[in-house]
This record gives sequence, C-alpha cells and structure tokens, in this order.
Amino acid sequence: MAIRRRRSIWEIVDEYFSDVERWADRLENIYAERPSWNLRDCSIEPLREITVTPTEVMVTVDLPFTSKANVKVKPVGTSSLEITAKMSKVVKLEELGVTHCKGEFQKYHSHLHIPVPVYTKRMTVNYKKGLLEVHLPRKH
Amino acid sequence: MSGTVKIIENKKIPSGATLVFGFPDVGLVGVIAASHLVDELKLDEVAYVDSTLLPPLVVLHEGLPHSSIRIFGNDDLLLVISEVPVPVDVIYPVMDALIGWGRSKNIKMMIALGGIPIQDRQDAKELKVFAAASSPEALKIPEDKQIEILTEGYLVGAQAIMLQRAANNGIPAITLLAQCFYNYPDPEAAAEVLKELGRITGVKVNFAKLLEKGEEIRLRARDVMKRTQEEMSKMKKPQELDIPIYVS
Repeated sequence: MAIRRRRSIWEIVDEYFSDVERWADRLENIYAERPSWNLRDCSIEPLREITVTPTEVMVTVDLPFTSKANVKVKPVGTSSLEITAKMSKVVKLEELGVTHCKGEFQKYHSHLHIPVPVYTKRMTVNYKKGLLEVHLPRKH
Repeated sequence: MSGTVKIIENKKIPSGATLVFGFPDVGLVGVIAASHLVDELKLDEVAYVDSTLLPPLVVLHEGLPHSSIRIFGNDDLLLVISEVPVPVDVIYPVMDALIGWGRSKNIKMMIALGGIPIQDRQDAKELKVFAAASSPEALKIPEDKQIEILTEGYLVGAQAIMLQRAANNGIPAITLLAQCFYNYPDPEAAAEVLKELGRITGVKVNFAKLLEKGEEIRLRARDVMKRTQEEMSKMKKPQELDIPIYVS
C-alpha cells in the first residue's frame, strides 16, 4: 500500500491561493468575453476591481453619471455583492457608437464574487466623484 | 514571428515634426490625451499602420474601415494613436516600424504620453506629472520646465521601447506620465499630461471640454479599458510599481 505523505500547512495554503487565482482567471475571462451591456434589463456593467489585503477585501467600481444617493450595494449570501446604480441620464446605445441594434440604459449592474471569506455585515461604503469603494473585513 | 509592419501614408508628411505616441495603457491617459489633441487641433489622418502581425480587426468610422493604429498630424506634430490595445507580442515590431518611419521623416523629438498609477487616486487633490528621457540633454527639457523626473524605477510598454530605441539611435525622446487610476479611464490625468506637453512643445489646447466630458469619456472607454487591462497583465505592467534594485 502506498504511503501518502502528509502535506504541510504551507502546501495547503499554496494550493488554496492557486485555486483562488484559477477561479479569478476564469471569472475574468467570462467577464471579458461577453458584452458589457444587457438590453433585457437596460443595464450596463461597470468597470470594477477587487483587491484582497491581509485584513480586508476592497472593491472599487467606476460609476460615471451617478450620485451617491442612487447607488445600492447589497451582500448576496456570504461571498457575493450586488451593486446597482441609477444613472443621472439615459444613455442610448448609438451615443456609445453601437449602431447595429437599438437600446438605452439608465443603470449599472454588477454581481461580484468575493474570493475570500468576509464579514458582509461589517461592510463600509465610500463614494467620491463617481467612484464607489466598498470595504469588507476578512474572516480569519 | 513572421510578418511585417508597414506605414502607409495618405498625405504628404512634414519633415522635422515632433512624433507623439498615445497608446492604451494605465488609465488610458495616453489615448484620451491624444484623442483630445486630434479633436482640438483638428488634425488630419496622414498615415496608418498596416500589419499582418496585428489582430484581424478594423475600426469602422462612418461605415468605412480604418487601421486601429493611425497617425494624425499637421506641419509640426505627428501623433500616433491606437484605438485598441496593442498586443504585447507585437509591440516591439510596431514601435520599431513607427520609430524607423519617424527617423525617415527627420523627426526632431519623440514624446510618449501616459500615466503612472497611484493608490487612492480618487483622494488626490492634484495630479503630478513625471518625466523620463532618452539622454541627459533630453532630460534637461522637462527639468527646465520644473517637471518632476522619474529618477528610478521601471517602465513597461510602448514608452519603454520608445526611450530605449531613442537612446540607441540618438533621437531626443521624453515620456510624460501623469498620476492616474490603474484600471479606470482617467480624463483628469490626460488633461495634466497635455498641460505639460504644451509647456514642452508649445502646442496649446483647451482642456475645458476634456474635463467637461470626463464622465462621458469614462463611460465610453470602459470596454477599451477592459481589453487594455488584459494586455497590461500579459506584459507585466504592474512591474512599474516594483521597488527597483539599485545597480549603478
């Protein structure tokens, strides 16, 4: 019978981070290869960035043509965030240079997976000049 | 990799102009600045890049196909602008072809417009512009204008190739980098870099429109920014933020 070597904690941690990176890459590819707008719900997907630090996860989202009052950040379960924001103007697809179909948008919508465990109840939100910043303390 | 990069001229090219590069990069600073220059100075397309090394893509304007890398100009200025990120594996041949073409037109100087990302960019009250150059003589140009010099560190991308090739060939070259967002289009940073370009070249443009249209530019530039993020990641762009090892 083959003897299985017990893995060190560092190998387990390495494997965990490799898994997280693979997941992030997969999500990134999905995110990049489909249109950033959805005519069915008249929404447009904003640019966003997720940064994981030893103490928190910080999410930033670029939301031009919005105001703080019209931005909603909602935790979904324990590992996702749903961000919606109503724009101050209706944007027609043709104004963005898309002429092969008709449609208009007045909101941003983004669903984000948080790659590590966090306390969603302790979430804090800042908004400045159209840039949303969400801080989520990490669970250790 | 086989294939060539050709520069096809549409119009007579002036001799002795300044060659300016505005490629998609951090914060899309270079391409936003270059695009504003084309609009404000009403520059005509004078040439474009044709290459089998580039992705099979044309940019449609008013139903007609255009190269994604075009050169606009007037008697004093030649401005290279790319509307999509240049893939990392072809950036050397593209830059070499453009610089070789520029040399054949006796360009007097090259300037790359770009950004340098900072943390907490949204809290920055003013955005500094930094410069690096191809030679001590070229470095004196931004120094004399009190532009802060990027004394140590790494540059990655088109501006890195431009400085390296310019140094090898004895062409004065300067790269101007405004503090900016890494992953978000940054029209304010583009305005800052254009101010310094104006102080160096004498090209004056009105920034009011650029700042007024800031939100619209951020919205329109989302998809190009997203594609640019992918190329920046492939070319190890974040290396610019590394702490350099000092070798004298």
